[in-house]
Amino acid sequence: MNDMNCNICHELLHGYLDNELDTATAMRVAEHLMRCTDCKRRYEEMKVLMVGVKEHAPYYEAPASLARNIFSTLQSQTTPADSQWGKIRSASQSWLAPTFSAAALAASLLLYVATPSGEDVWVDEAVSDHVRSLMVEHLNDVASSDKHTVKPWFAGKLDFSPPVYDLSAQGYPLLGGRLDYLQHQTTAALSYGRNKHIINLFVLPTIEADHAPQSLSKRGYNIVSWRQNHMRFVAVSDLNKSELEIFSQLVQKGM
Amino acid sequence: MSQKADVKRFEELFAPHMDAAYNLARWLTGNESSAHDVVQESALRAFRFLHRFAGGNARAWLLAIVRNQSYTWLKASAGNRWIAIGDEMPEDDLALGHTQTPEINAIRTEEAALLQQALTALPPAFREIIVLKELEDMSYKDIAIVTDVPLGTVMSRLARARSMLRTELVKLYRHE
Repeated sequence: MNDMNCNICHELLHGYLDNELDTATAMRVAEHLMRCTDCKRRYEEMKVLMVGVKEHAPYYEAPASLARNIFSTLQSQTTPADSQWGKIRSASQSWLAPTFSAAALAASLLLYVATPSGEDVWVDEAVSDHVRSLMVEHLNDVASSDKHTVKPWFAGKLDFSPPVYDLSAQGYPLLGGRLDYLQHQTTAALSYGRNKHIINLFVLPTIEADHAPQSLSKRGYNIVSWRQNHMRFVAVSDLNKSELEIFSQLVQKGM
Repeated sequence: MSQKADVKRFEELFAPHMDAAYNLARWLTGNESSAHDVVQESALRAFRFLHRFAGGNARAWLLAIVRNQSYTWLKASAGNRWIAIGDEMPEDDLALGHTQTPEINAIRTEEAALLQQALTALPPAFREIIVLKELEDMSYKDIAIVTDVPLGTVMSRLARARSMLRTELVKLYRHE
């Protein structure tokens, strides 16, 4: 029984557009849209409007100085007399360039303060690297969607050759690569896009045996990690779990 | 929990959401230096009330504070004058903006400056919901947390906001 009238539809079509309706209601809206040209036109208009705003309205990113100010204020407000804290801070500051964001400092502190065990250490640090790569706007040293540009760039900088794939046909375009560090080892960090999300894929050699992919989530990020052919892979993103798993499968299969 | 552990927890939870915080404050206050102050103040408040954060969505929790601080700023900057936030407007005249016609197809929704002008013209309660939905890609549930309204109100307000934005764009287009 489809008893929907246009007034109700005018509101519900937004929930329909945003994928927020339960299945039954969504079906009713879909049926109404098939029959009512007026609502259908309104729906199409709203879709155009929504896409326009999503893609073209300005997004104001926080200036780097903001995070720096906040975290330095917090640090100065708390336990200045704590010698351990002070020691770590000055040690960190001496080797972190001043332009590094406070998050980078925080991430480095994290390593000293809390050293988690096992696989966790990789994951924790990979998440921090991911966040830092986005915050300091240092995503790529070599920005290219061409694997024949990215892969050779690593030669001479690494003592291994990370697999680089172009997954744009599958909806995960290659954005570029950079050098990063995980557990004090030089690591290849490849960045891939998925709609508006960024995936960092960390690759480094390991002597440990192959291991099937594990999915987990930390600090609001999804992570898939696995070991394959004596390489350790850690994929980090704010992308949803299933899409990140699909990405990981594509990389494993060398698509 | 020691203060040191608090700082660590704070940074883990909120460092990733500085852009979202700034973007919302920038859209609500309308200028860079106020957005900067609002986010800084919000972060310090978030730190002070960290013990109240019971898990869940850290971004929504932080943005709720940023939103409150932005409104505090808006009210202060307006002096003692009453300022229309917009959420007291009736939700029932959805027809608004649809009496005019199919002109939307002629409007260049890809023009950032035009979109910015149209969005800025909306009352804050409608501007913020567009920012949260389209620019932050938040779910209705999280938007309800940030804007402190019942979940059921989110869709109707968003419907209203989008209609109003459409009207503004038509207006700007006509004046060009």
